[in-house]
Amino acid sequence: MEDQILALTAELAAVKSAAQVTNTMFAEAYYYLTIPLMVLIHAGFLLYEMGATRVKNVLSSGTKNLLAFAFTIITFYLFGWWFYWALPTFPYDLASGAGYMEISGIEYANAIALPWGDSAQYMGPNMADHASGVFWGAFALFAATTASIASGALIERIQTVGFVICAIVLGSFAWVVAAAWGWHADGWLVTEFGFHDFGAAGLVHAVAGFFALGILINLGPRVGKFNADGSANHIAGHNMPLTVTGLMLIIVGFFGFLMACIILPGEGWSWYADQGTTIYGTPMTLSALAFNVCLAASGGIIGAWVVTRDPFWMMSGCLAGIISVASGLDIYFGSTVIVIAMVAGMILKPCADWLEGFGIDDAVGCVTVHGTIGLFGVVMLGVLGSGAPGLGAFAPEDTVAISLFGQVVGAVVMFLLGFVPGYIVSWLVHKAGMLRIPESVQIKGLDAVKVPAQAYPESMVSPESDS
Amino acid sequence: MGYFAESFAELYNADGWIDMGMYIGSGSSAPGWWTVIASVMLIAVLAKGNADEQEHYK
Repeated sequence: MEDQILALTAELAAVKSAAQVTNTMFAEAYYYLTIPLMVLIHAGFLLYEMGATRVKNVLSSGTKNLLAFAFTIITFYLFGWWFYWALPTFPYDLASGAGYMEISGIEYANAIALPWGDSAQYMGPNMADHASGVFWGAFALFAATTASIASGALIERIQTVGFVICAIVLGSFAWVVAAAWGWHADGWLVTEFGFHDFGAAGLVHAVAGFFALGILINLGPRVGKFNADGSANHIAGHNMPLTVTGLMLIIVGFFGFLMACIILPGEGWSWYADQGTTIYGTPMTLSALAFNVCLAASGGIIGAWVVTRDPFWMMSGCLAGIISVASGLDIYFGSTVIVIAMVAGMILKPCADWLEGFGIDDAVGCVTVHGTIGLFGVVMLGVLGSGAPGLGAFAPEDTVAISLFGQVVGAVVMFLLGFVPGYIVSWLVHKAGMLRIPESVQIKGLDAVKVPAQAYPESMVSPESDS
Repeated sequence: MGYFAESFAELYNADGWIDMGMYIGSGSSAPGWWTVIASVMLIAVLAKGNADEQEHYK
């Protein structure tokens, strides 16, 4: 009998060990697969941006987009990841010490997020660590996505290296600070104001959108965009089908982006042993995403169709629909999502037109789709979700819940974290003569001047190039 | 600078895989130096890229 009990105990231990291995490998594979899904966002941005560009500038736009991806990922490795773990309590704690959960602060970041010294073991191959690489990879793609969002607004007149510098500041610093403050269980926006932004409407989209606005003010419009009387001309891209297909690929990638926002159960780094959660430790499931993301995408398309009948704005509405509910994808009911997303799709084009009235040449509606709708989404959650818990059951009892006030504070912070660094860095780049492409080159076409390749056969040239 | 283990057995012990980086230069100052080299290359590429770009616009 005793032998049997011992044998059963050993078998049980073996089964538990095997189950843990399965769970660990599943979690590693889950986050790993979000990475190629998010690369699809970049395939989408590439198509979208090149399609929205005139023939004479197509490859130049593609080059810029590819470099934003590459430089952001590398700089996120070198220092961006460190900022995320170091800054959650700053400036509430000027010394940037550890927060309540003790997974933040400069000391913690030094231990896990620097590619040198002892922490290097968490920044490279390590058979005992199945989490750091896939989490870093997912965040690196969040960073690259944020930088690429701003890219489209600036096409056809921004210099390549000047843009890359702006992209690095956005992707490896500005949005990372926003994430540390509002997308981390120790972030002061979360612990002090109950700020909630599950799908990063504010900390990715609004930050990127208003960062782009800061650059646009210093960059100026494309040659020929505005007339002497201030009225605007429409500058059509060379390939609307490419642009619309690119936007749809971005939507595909969004599913990966959003599934990476879920914390799986059963691991040492999980919030719970048996339930998936948001990054804040509040309840979340993939099923919730399936309902709400599909409905938001559809609502946004329909809303934009009602107002514009234009496939470009319909697909932009699709993005806007998802962004408008991203903050509360974990707690919105499906029909609520339909309503919010349709409204987002409807207000999109009027908001873009309003911005253009100020002489801002946002070539793809980036500031509106990501910036304005991002803030709209953050605030809407405050209107509809006040009182919902901001953190999981592990948090102190007096933790602040979601509130309209907290979401408005978060929206203001996200606006500033985008606009101020965007304006300052582009102003510095402008002063260094590295921001705006000379008008003669814009008229001739950027590809002919600086790209040693040809986008299309000789028979397909742009009228602008001929002139 | 080299690889720290000479055999499979050294990488794996009775408790499982060793709990440290398993890359070339693990446990030494090599990762830091590689990081410095990569950073310098990145800055040099941006500087050269900008110089070339300004040439194009002349």
